Amino acid sequence: MGKGDSKPEGTLADTASGARDAGAGSPAASPRRASAWAQYRALLAKDLRIEARTREMVVSMGVYAVLVLTVYGATLSQTGDALDVLNVASGLLWAMVVFTSLLGLNRSFSHERADGCMEGVLLAPVSRSAMFFAKATSNFLFMLVVEVIAVPLFFLFFLAGAQVGPSAWLIVPPLLLGTVGMAGIGTFMATITMDTRGKDVLLAILLIPVIFPLLYACVSSTSIALLDVVGQMGTYLRSLALAGGYDVIMLAAAWGLYEFVVGS
Amino acid sequence: MPTANDTPPKVTGPAGAGPAIRARDITKAFGSRRALDGVDVTVPAGAFLTVFGPNGAGKTTLLRILSTLARPTSGTLELLGADALHDDPNALRGRIGMISHRSMAYADLSARENLLLFARLYGVADPDRRVTELLELVELGHRANDQAGTFSRGMSQRLSIARALVNDPELILLDEPYAGLDPHGMRLLDDLIERIRPGRTFVMVSHDLERGYALCTHALILARGRVVLQGARDELDADDFRDTYLSVVGSLTSDVEAG
Amino acid sequence: MANESANEREAGGGRRWSSGRWTTVAIVAVVLGCALTTLDFLWAFLRAPMVSGANLSDGQAAIINGTVVSTRLLFSQKIFYFHVPVAIVSFCFIIAAAVYAVMFLARRRESYDLRSRLCMLVGLVFIVATMISGDLWTRHDWGVWWVWEPRLTTYFILMLLVIAYFILRAAVEDPETQARFAAVFAIVAAIDAPISFFITRLVPSSIHPVVIRTDSGLPPDMLVPFLAGIFGMALVGFGFFRLRLTLEEQAMEVESLKRSYEELLD
Repeated sequence: MGKGDSKPEGTLADTASGARDAGAGSPAASPRRASAWAQYRALLAKDLRIEARTREMVVSMGVYAVLVLTVYGATLSQTGDALDVLNVASGLLWAMVVFTSLLGLNRSFSHERADGCMEGVLLAPVSRSAMFFAKATSNFLFMLVVEVIAVPLFFLFFLAGAQVGPSAWLIVPPLLLGTVGMAGIGTFMATITMDTRGKDVLLAILLIPVIFPLLYACVSSTSIALLDVVGQMGTYLRSLALAGGYDVIMLAAAWGLYEFVVGS
Repeated sequence: MPTANDTPPKVTGPAGAGPAIRARDITKAFGSRRALDGVDVTVPAGAFLTVFGPNGAGKTTLLRILSTLARPTSGTLELLGADALHDDPNALRGRIGMISHRSMAYADLSARENLLLFARLYGVADPDRRVTELLELVELGHRANDQAGTFSRGMSQRLSIARALVNDPELILLDEPYAGLDPHGMRLLDDLIERIRPGRTFVMVSHDLERGYALCTHALILARGRVVLQGARDELDADDFRDTYLSVVGSLTSDVEAG
Repeated sequence: MANESANEREAGGGRRWSSGRWTTVAIVAVVLGCALTTLDFLWAFLRAPMVSGANLSDGQAAIINGTVVSTRLLFSQKIFYFHVPVAIVSFCFIIAAAVYAVMFLARRRESYDLRSRLCMLVGLVFIVATMISGDLWTRHDWGVWWVWEPRLTTYFILMLLVIAYFILRAAVEDPETQARFAAVFAIVAAIDAPISFFITRLVPSSIHPVVIRTDSGLPPDMLVPFLAGIFGMALVGFGFFRLRLTLEEQAMEVESLKRSYEELLD
């Protein structure tokens, strides 16, 4: 494809002329097909670099998470007893995670929309799967960073005086599985809603019923982890397995259907 | 696809060998709406086709089909010797470049980072070197490390051209490239297009009759999804062409006023 | 051009004939369906025996909201002959919508999109009927308006998914993009609903008991009205679907005739 043998080394002057039969001689331009893996890395690096520069996602999600905690503070101010909070703690924790993730997912496509960038990427011979997984990975990482800040804050604010069992660290696996699922199916849904009217509300309307089963399983296992694992390890593991199964099935569905979401 | 990688079509004019685009009976319809209705277009390799037409005539739809981002409902389309509707679209995408009125550059990345990203997506052999070459070509070398969001309209447009050239495309699509440019920017763009023209085929969609007609070797008027007039510029009568174009635009305007 | 419009007329004529035949089929389906559903109702109230309330999985008496629900003979159980068929039929329509969605994505014909949308619409009507009848049952049998019980939860989620489907359609302007997104979402919804059922059922909730009815092995007096209900309601649903489809197709035909007429004027 335009690899003129006569000009293996295109000089700068040649190239600057821009003509195809001159510029194309430059071996630097010779196109080979990029692997999906290379494209995935390039797209992920792009998202991470933009985030490192703007901190848009992590800051807005982090602030939002703190605001949710503040609302919890007011709504729980009359309950008094710390033990009561422990009973509903896993639900509160997950409500915070869901709403914070929704906010982040909505923002995650704002710089793709601006100036038609997403179209630019689609015009390139990019594997659509690489696009999906790159975006899902970056969303997963941003959500994870926010959780690393917000979950300890939640413990500090509401569970400081509670009898949290020694098994509390077991909330980590459900948090990971839940975040993977929400980032995956959330990225999928956010791609659908990015160009629609009232996209912010629409994403919530589409995503919440879809992730309901995942949420149900994650709240169950988190609950068991926070209260006490003894005797309920089976239920805990079953909930985790179901959450994992949900992740596998829904990510596979999203991956298979992504081509239809971005393409025509 | 042996033809894709062996023989570079080294043509510099409309007298080239096989056509770069051969579209037959392209129809894009959904429901009662027909964006394109039986469009036939042939563009020889190395030619410059400008597509004119009023708003909603189907120009953008045609361009999207040529860029492989949209599929026609029916018809056949050959692009650069490949069957655009059945062959791997990604193989074709690697040989096409698109310049639109939107910059398609991430505002928070520098010019160089933007081009590097696209060079990697296209699988260019030596991204760093290619990007440096392109920045020189569009005269953005001095702003290479500035974020694209700080660029003027004209500079974004040049960056957009560099992005479209990253893969050294054989076919370049231009979607209203003059939109939003000042006269100086338009001149610069004309200049750049002239410089990148040899060896490539162009399809441009434009409102600007003067500029579009001056640049082209072939011209086409589209109205309501149908080809009203098309031909090589050498064979067309410029005054005739202008009259047809104005009457098409005029009839649509009177429709709008009446309705 | 003239040849083309003659072809269109011919095709239009063919469609009218077949749509006329379909209208007859649809009306017959609705009438027959109504008759079967009536039979279901009459049989349920006049002939079917009274049964006791739901059994718990471990055979103990269920107590919800302070009321023993598993040992009483329940008149409210009659709703079973209405509620369960409606639920089954609604689920069938959602599956059909997903199948049409797959066919749309494969072949990109607008007619599949239309069918998928109408299946969703009929499905929504049946889901709402399921929810209302289920809720009446819950209120009467268990003394609460709402329980996060697997079936109720699943149907609630399914209802939200179908409503979301229509909100999504309304939010996308370009008809082709709308059809594409709707198809994708219909498929996701159809995958999600069964998962939702399994997860809510397999993950025990500590607050409410998991109620599992053992409905298998119905005596004939219960089976006959139950089956009549299923077939009757399926026929009613199908009839509505077909009638609406004919209507929409005719509307589309009017649109395309209008367009050709406008073109003739030019």
